[in-house]
Amino acid sequence: MFRRLRTKLTVLYAGLFGAALIVISLVVYASIAANARAVVRDELMSSGTVFDRVWTLRANQLQGGASLLSRDFGFREAVASRDEATIRSALENLRLRFGIDLAFIIGVDGRVTGVDPGQLKGADARLMQAVEQEDNPSGVLMIGGVPHQVIAAPILSPTLVGWVVFASRLDANEMQALERLSAIHVDAVVLGRDDKSRAWVAPPGASGLAGGAVTRDLAGAIDAAMADKAPEARDFRAPGGAALTLVKPLKSIGGDGPAALLLSYPMARAMAPYSPMLAIIVLTGAGGITVLVIGSWMLARSVTRPVSMLDEAVQRLSRGENAAVEPTTSDELGRLAESFNSMAAEIRERERRITHLAMHDQETNLPNRLALDRAVEALAAEAGGRGLKVAVLSINVNRFTHVRGAIGYALAAAMMGEIGQALQRLRPGDPIGRVANGVLAVAFMVREVDEARRIAAHLQHILEAPVRLGEHAVDVSLTLGLAVYPDLVDDAAALVNRASIAVDQARAGHNKLALFDAAAYGDPQAKLGLMSEMLGAITTGDIFIHLQPKFDLRAGRTTGAEALVRWRHPQRGMVGPDDFIPMAEETGHIRTLTEHVLSLAIAQQAALKAQGFDIAVSVNMSGRLVGDHEFAEEALQLARHAQGELCLELTETAVIAHPQRALENIERFADAGIRISIDDYGTGLSSLAYLKQMRAHELKIDKAFVIGMAEGQKDALLVRSTVDLAHSLGLKVTAEGVETAMVQALLTAMGCDLAQGYFIARPMALADFATFLQRERDEAAGDSRRGSARRSARAGTA
Amino acid sequence: MRRRPALCASLGLAAVLLAALAPEARAGDVAFQVVDAKGRPVMDAVVTAYPPGLKADQMRFSWAQEMVQRNLQFDPFVLIVPVGANVSFPNHDPVRHHVYSFSLAHPFELKLYGKDETRSVRFDKAGVVALGCNIHDNMVAFIKVVDTPFAAKTDDKGLAVLKGLPTGQVQARVWHPYMKAARNEIERTVAVPATGSGREMVQIDLRNAPDRRGGY
Repeated sequence: MFRRLRTKLTVLYAGLFGAALIVISLVVYASIAANARAVVRDELMSSGTVFDRVWTLRANQLQGGASLLSRDFGFREAVASRDEATIRSALENLRLRFGIDLAFIIGVDGRVTGVDPGQLKGADARLMQAVEQEDNPSGVLMIGGVPHQVIAAPILSPTLVGWVVFASRLDANEMQALERLSAIHVDAVVLGRDDKSRAWVAPPGASGLAGGAVTRDLAGAIDAAMADKAPEARDFRAPGGAALTLVKPLKSIGGDGPAALLLSYPMARAMAPYSPMLAIIVLTGAGGITVLVIGSWMLARSVTRPVSMLDEAVQRLSRGENAAVEPTTSDELGRLAESFNSMAAEIRERERRITHLAMHDQETNLPNRLALDRAVEALAAEAGGRGLKVAVLSINVNRFTHVRGAIGYALAAAMMGEIGQALQRLRPGDPIGRVANGVLAVAFMVREVDEARRIAAHLQHILEAPVRLGEHAVDVSLTLGLAVYPDLVDDAAALVNRASIAVDQARAGHNKLALFDAAAYGDPQAKLGLMSEMLGAITTGDIFIHLQPKFDLRAGRTTGAEALVRWRHPQRGMVGPDDFIPMAEETGHIRTLTEHVLSLAIAQQAALKAQGFDIAVSVNMSGRLVGDHEFAEEALQLARHAQGELCLELTETAVIAHPQRALENIERFADAGIRISIDDYGTGLSSLAYLKQMRAHELKIDKAFVIGMAEGQKDALLVRSTVDLAHSLGLKVTAEGVETAMVQALLTAMGCDLAQGYFIARPMALADFATFLQRERDEAAGDSRRGSARRSARAGTA
Repeated sequence: MRRRPALCASLGLAAVLLAALAPEARAGDVAFQVVDAKGRPVMDAVVTAYPPGLKADQMRFSWAQEMVQRNLQFDPFVLIVPVGANVSFPNHDPVRHHVYSFSLAHPFELKLYGKDETRSVRFDKAGVVALGCNIHDNMVAFIKVVDTPFAAKTDDKGLAVLKGLPTGQVQARVWHPYMKAARNEIERTVAVPATGSGREMVQIDLRNAPDRRGGY
């Protein structure tokens, strides 16, 4: 969260202090507010009580005045005698004495005297309702939208002739008198209901919340408060700020429902005396935070500066720069800095040693292959800038392992060191390296290839001197390979490799020095591409099999076939097995290929079976796979679906690599009913020992012997003895490469069991093979009828 | 505050008895039963009848033509007198009274007179005279000055009987000081039987009597 310790400490301290301050401020504010509220509330309640008293006193005073008048004999006489001038003067007299706004009488017939009826704006009608229900009504009456305190007293002379009515406006001036009675400046307003809309209306010039107009919120609050049993101070959220309110119902005249006395006091006014105190708290807090921020910033700085220095030093160290720091204090941080310095020094030393080890050969202390590669890279960059060429000369000590076997590892290494030093002396400044046990290499810049060749020849001449190792001298014979970039090699990074290959090419040509020949080397990338194409071809069906008949010499018909893999490449045409099978063996793809061939063979065998031909199918099995248990599992799984005899053909050589595992797998195949055939017998490393151990069923004599049978006595003899050997071991014998009728006749005579070759038939596709079998069957049928010699007929067709 | 009902009831009864004793040829009686809106009997309602060819002279009623002041009250509450009657106002209270009336029928004023003093006033015009005392607000009474001999006021059962009315259709009026009607009076035509007694039920609406205690 914080990238710097100093910021973190400062923020933490300031944050904690600030939080504490905020909490304190809030608590102080809350208690002040609560206190102020309580004061206002008490004041409102007492104002409410005072108002009640004042209201009652006023009502009583008016009532007294009205009653006094209504009972005055002279007044009654004036009323009874309709002496209006006297009535008016009496009313006016009393109105002035009591300081009231309206004084009039209203007769039992509703006639108003003493005031212009229009001035009452219909209030007299409601007044009549009230006096009919009550003798001495007293309460709030709305006159022209202004609430009035009204009392009425009946005039009895002695019968009821009318009422004396006094009305006093409850406007702002009137209420100010009440407001002055309160210790705090409470806003007091009497609200009545509008004649028609029944909405709450306030007198003009009302102060406080009801000033202006009564909002809907306020009306709702008043209605709610009026429902209270006992008047209670309530909070009200006015647009201008919160206020505490007290609503008291006031009796009204004229059936409008009670009027309301609204006492209010804005909280802002209540809080006003405390604002300087709150301001002081906030200012003090802000000052405190500022001091704290500065203080913790400086404290954190003294703590974190050594840490920052170490942090920067570590970053320098990781970049491999000088990482020493100056210890500034003698405390833990100072000691840490010293420890860090010594640690950094050790790291640099170790790094130097590791780098040296990584770049040098342990035995000779010459630069190694890695060092040379880097040097060549640098050289290539330099040469490119100067228009020169880079040559790498690989220097191989001939028969190094023999020499090492003769003189021992230590001396052999010493010998390589001597040669390397000699080389370095001859080519001072040029990078050299020991790239393999018996191989040194040197890189240098030349103008042309011939110059490189001359230098190579010169070096060879000098270096092929006997090397003195102590008191011994060892003769050294060298083969050199030269690669030059960009003339011979198009990739500077491959120069050392290409030089080594040039050595191989020199040896293959029995030369002492060769220049790298790209054409002869071929392209390994292309080989890998071929493999991936092969895998693709398996799925597309471009790899398929042909069947070559195996002819039973005794039965005189074809009883089996060897499945031979074929690849029809969409661009290159037919690809020979020799072109891809060895590579498949090297890259491990042989397993996929063999499984594919096996499943094809089983499928085609089933197809033949469906046409009525029982054919034993042989599949060649690579020596790489014989010892492969997983392949064996897979093959056994596939073989389970075979609808006839399966035979796996393998060479004895295949067993030699992993005899134990190979023999185990052969046993498992044999147990599963798969026949094992020893292929190419007589060539390679045929071992009688394995012949004895292998649980084989058949032996195939290599065509090299069979083809020569007709001409050479020796081959015929070998074939005959092999046939006899196999038979005596209980094996059947198949002769490969039968190309003439003569050979087939000889083999038949020798007791050979099966024959295979062009004389019988070439490998062919399944359909052709089926046709071939059908024709053979037809001919056999014809032969048996005619009893003619079929050999000659077959010779004719071949 | 109400009047003393027992006294009024006995006076009413006396009036009924006196009327019954008066001899009259080919005439019948009509008993008026006056009730209020709730069916309760109304006392002190004055029933008058004006048969055709009425001679309004030599009228005389059986009850005393006086309005006594006793126990700070007028007695009776309602007094029926004929036109031209002299009504005396004897004061039996130990305090003085100041009887007055602003009624248009006969405004008068009997200024402060003491115990066992009597004043009398002659009423020449038919109508209602409301009486009050300027000193004692609670004192109220009414004198109904009539111009017919056929007048009676209801007793505490709400009954008033007019005797010896000529047979046939007669205009009758019922008046009460607190009746909700114009001039506190209603009028109706009543059939008088040849012999025996007819009966007339009259229902009237009363307003409450004003509270005379006042505010103070």
